[in-house]
Amino acid sequence: MTRSWVEPIGANINRVEALAKVTGRAVYTADVPAQGAAHAVQVPSQISAGRVRRIDTREAERATGVLAVLTHQNVPRWRGQPAIPYYAESRLPLSDDRIHFGNQCLALVIADTLHQAEYAASLVLVDYQLGQPVPNLDAARADAYPPTGPYPDRFPTEHRRGDAVAALRSAPVRVDREYRTATISHAPMEPSSTLASWDGDQLTLHDSSQGVFAHREAVATAFGLPVESVRLISSLIGGGFGNKSYTWGHTLLAALAARVVRRPVRLTLNRKEVFTGTGHMPAMIQRVRLGARRDGTLTAITHDTVNATSPTDDRNEPAIQSTPALYAVPNLAARAQVAKVNIGTSGAMRTPGDTPGQFAVECAMDELAYELGMDPLELRRKNYAERHPQSGKPFSGKRLLRCYEVGAAEFGWSWGEAEPGTLRDGNDLVGYGMASGIRAEHSAPAAARVEISSDGTAEVRTGTQEIGGGTLTTMVQVAASGLGVSPDRVSIKAGDTDLPQGAPTFGSMTSGSTGSAVHLGARRVRVAAIRLAIRDTQSPLHGAEEDAVDVRDGRLLLRADPSRGETYVDLLDRHGIGALRRVGEYQPEEESAVERATFGAHFVEVRIDRQLSRVRVARHVGVFDCGRVLNEKTATNQARGGMIFAMGGALMEQLVPDPVSGRLITPALTDYHVPVHADIGDVRALFVGEHEPEAHPVGAKGLGEICSIGIAPAIANAVFHATGKRVRELPITPEKLL
Amino acid sequence: MRLTIQINGEQHQVDDVWAGESLLYVLRERLGLPGSKNACEQGECGSCTVYLDGTAVCACLVAAGQAQDREVVTVEGLAPGAGELHPVQEAFLAAGAVQCGFCTPGLVVAAHNLVRRNPEPSDAQIREELAGNLCRCTGYEKIMDAVRMAAANTQEAGA
Repeated sequence: MTRSWVEPIGANINRVEALAKVTGRAVYTADVPAQGAAHAVQVPSQISAGRVRRIDTREAERATGVLAVLTHQNVPRWRGQPAIPYYAESRLPLSDDRIHFGNQCLALVIADTLHQAEYAASLVLVDYQLGQPVPNLDAARADAYPPTGPYPDRFPTEHRRGDAVAALRSAPVRVDREYRTATISHAPMEPSSTLASWDGDQLTLHDSSQGVFAHREAVATAFGLPVESVRLISSLIGGGFGNKSYTWGHTLLAALAARVVRRPVRLTLNRKEVFTGTGHMPAMIQRVRLGARRDGTLTAITHDTVNATSPTDDRNEPAIQSTPALYAVPNLAARAQVAKVNIGTSGAMRTPGDTPGQFAVECAMDELAYELGMDPLELRRKNYAERHPQSGKPFSGKRLLRCYEVGAAEFGWSWGEAEPGTLRDGNDLVGYGMASGIRAEHSAPAAARVEISSDGTAEVRTGTQEIGGGTLTTMVQVAASGLGVSPDRVSIKAGDTDLPQGAPTFGSMTSGSTGSAVHLGARRVRVAAIRLAIRDTQSPLHGAEEDAVDVRDGRLLLRADPSRGETYVDLLDRHGIGALRRVGEYQPEEESAVERATFGAHFVEVRIDRQLSRVRVARHVGVFDCGRVLNEKTATNQARGGMIFAMGGALMEQLVPDPVSGRLITPALTDYHVPVHADIGDVRALFVGEHEPEAHPVGAKGLGEICSIGIAPAIANAVFHATGKRVRELPITPEKLL
Repeated sequence: MRLTIQINGEQHQVDDVWAGESLLYVLRERLGLPGSKNACEQGECGSCTVYLDGTAVCACLVAAGQAQDREVVTVEGLAPGAGELHPVQEAFLAAGAVQCGFCTPGLVVAAHNLVRRNPEPSDAQIREELAGNLCRCTGYEKIMDAVRMAAANTQEAGA
């Protein structure tokens, strides 16, 4: 009896590592056993701007168990400056006496045990020379400037088409508004951790890393080593959302400490360090101007942004990057500036640029809709862009209209029945809002080795990372599909620079790029096996055409006559082949005839307690076009998670700077509020994507980022509908509605 | 100091415990039980939830000395036997309630505790009861499904 064959892609299989996770056996970086490892603890700066006049480590050095105390005065010199952005900060740790932000590392204490290191760290005495801090974006804004250098080179700071100023001047209807967003944090549950050990000039790092290959290069550069001398291993990652996309100072310090004390060293960040020293989405002020005709046709968009950047960096939050792609508007001008604030380096956070950028533009669209007396959904349909409005190229696939249609139906969207501020249900004000989302689809080169063994099992090897999105599971499914075997026969090895190079697990690149490498590798194995069979006189498939052979459940068979065939096991066994293996390599096109992007539409109902002004999202329908869905179980979970993640940013999350020093006063999960179970309403995630091989060979596009775009404006627009009050500043906390 | 604790049914003796150490540290660093996670160090996130004499607690807030002569059950000790799963673990697996998994051990213990005390929890009760276990990935919906499923399966098994 053969089992009925189920196509592995799209099957709702359980996550391959779920068993380990529910039993507590899953290994994260801080769980990697480390016999004889010493522990390192950072000494944080108590001021946000100035210099270290003197640092006295004598008492710390005398404390029990202390092996070394490193400061800028005795630290061995770094051998090279790693490239931005994969090393996050422009300044290497402990490189001089200058202090740029609160909690900056001023010294590193290494001791036999964690408690000894923590205690000794408290004994380090710092004599500060106080500088003049710039505490927040408002204080810095007057000195805003267009950034230059490697980071803005990657994310352009200006976009233009037509003549936006003239078009605005002559537009019959205009919106001109300023929007603000707070500093927010990735706040993954797992604090970053590093375990470093040296064997001569060979460094092995276990690190909570979303991109082992890129990070290995950053580390190798800092130590002046060839990349082959560094092995970087990323175990399971307890969430990242971008804060583990870059290498931060602590990883280099752990490696340096291990070299100094000639022992393995473990450095796990505390929660405060996660908040202050592994990036954030910076505070922004954005001005959006829209010009339109009375029928709703957009004639101009301008989008001007300024974001906080650290004193040592020039990082624009790329909030204008998608503005040119949103609507079919002929005239556009967008410009990004930065302003120096005494805060740590910002870093890509789900979803970089697009979460704040589309908050501003999509709120402005809602304001325009009300100005015109037009359904906000109709306004968006009216200005829908079939082709990319900047490049004129077609999209590899764009099902945004379908997102609108499915979302509106599922939600029961109807507009115009209630004036803003008039809908009540008991003690609640009720409001409805919607918004769109778009995210450019990124790609990276990726390779994967796929093999089928003569015992019928298969294995995938690729240096991707499992950060929670379901990578290990979907890659197993893609391999199973390509090979024509059941997913439960396939295992995967990942998260290690000793494996073929996978794409980094950020920028929504896993499904499209690493997925395509696995797809191509598995197809190559399948084809090799089929060729072996059809040329083999002993095979029941001998003489068949290559295209006439299919593989299902590990059995090669004739499509026209499924009774004729044989299993991989029999074929390989007869040929004395232990394992048939091939490498799949995915190389993104340099120049493409199409634009690639993912799309979403959001429909939201908020309920606001009239006395407390607390906003709750009672209902939320999100519809996404991310190409072919590889596993609906993991995808739905990831998408709803992304929607709730963005709801947190819209309603509650903020790293609050002290108004004088700029030091963050909410760097703890008690004060930095993220959504909890009791905050959640009826949240639905639906998919309208289809197999899209024009985007990537595997037919899938990214999901991890598009699922967090467009939520904040949909909520803010619903808040306006509920209250009649426009809140143009995130998060929408109760006092803003009083 | 020397500490004697029963953990997951086994008696353990731990030497040279520092008075300031947490139960979580002892479990993770001294006894090789890293299932309970250290995520916030202040009892806010629930990732280190364990049973202490049958009461669910945050192990990061329990001083190691407080566990002297008491009984601790961690996520590693919930399954009835080797190769088996508790119905709550089964439900988390089958419902797809796991993403990065860092909050999962704490949530599994908290959900176990909920279903044990309240075999038929309402949705509102689940949301309120698990509000102290933070998850940054899932948006909580599949966790709701898992708890509902676990409650149903536990009822069935007990009937």
